[in-house]
Amino acid sequence: MKIWSTEHVFSYPWETVIKAAMRKYPNPMNPNVVGVDVLDRSVDTEGRLHSHRLLSTEWGLPGIVRAILGSNYSLTYVKEHSIVDPEEKKMELCSTNITLTNLISVDERLLYRPHPDNPEVTILTQEAIITVKGVSLSSYLEGMMARRMSANASKGWDAIEWIIQNSERENVPLCDIY
Amino acid sequence: MNSVGEACTDLKREYDTCFNRWFADKFLKGDRSGDPCTETFRKYQRCVQKAIQEKDIPVDGVDFMGPDKDKTET
Repeated sequence: MKIWSTEHVFSYPWETVIKAAMRKYPNPMNPNVVGVDVLDRSVDTEGRLHSHRLLSTEWGLPGIVRAILGSNYSLTYVKEHSIVDPEEKKMELCSTNITLTNLISVDERLLYRPHPDNPEVTILTQEAIITVKGVSLSSYLEGMMARRMSANASKGWDAIEWIIQNSERENVPLCDIY
Repeated sequence: MNSVGEACTDLKREYDTCFNRWFADKFLKGDRSGDPCTETFRKYQRCVQKAIQEKDIPVDGVDFMGPDKDKTET
């Protein structure tokens, strides 16, 4: 098991970042996410928006790993639960893979909050727990996944910035562009 | 962005457009006057659920580490 975490600061107010985070895909930085569906969505009694989404992703495990594991999957599915609290100004997002679970689990948690001293700035804290089943490959795969988490995290930040810049410029919902 | 079900992509985009407007213009601004996308969502949902069944994607029974997984949702 490997625990990975990081923090990132966006130079935009919380609302701007959240709007971009909700429509983060598609973006040029994460071409591996090929499908996003909303499975369920509701506002709870405290006025928080819950979204359950299904992400279809191409993880691209190295050929050698696939050969050893006999895994022939081209797509991995990830389930994601996000909660947006507009009063507290907090967005929390948890995700976990629902296929390849006999091999690996990647549980990720993201939290977007305004900077306590500067409302024009948003902080994203991000953590993941990577667990590889089976002893022989675990340290190799966990290390590889942790390195990939770091690379993907910075792509994710770039993606949010990209969404903000493009949607601000066009001033239309991003999905109309596609 | 595509849907998991090829046939659902148009419905998904229609719903996403509706949702993104509601989210930005109403929800984040504290307007609780109801969700105008319910009907679009229902149509999209029927399509997605069918695709999930056909592709045998195990969307149920996943234990989330989320902090709110024990709370009941509306």
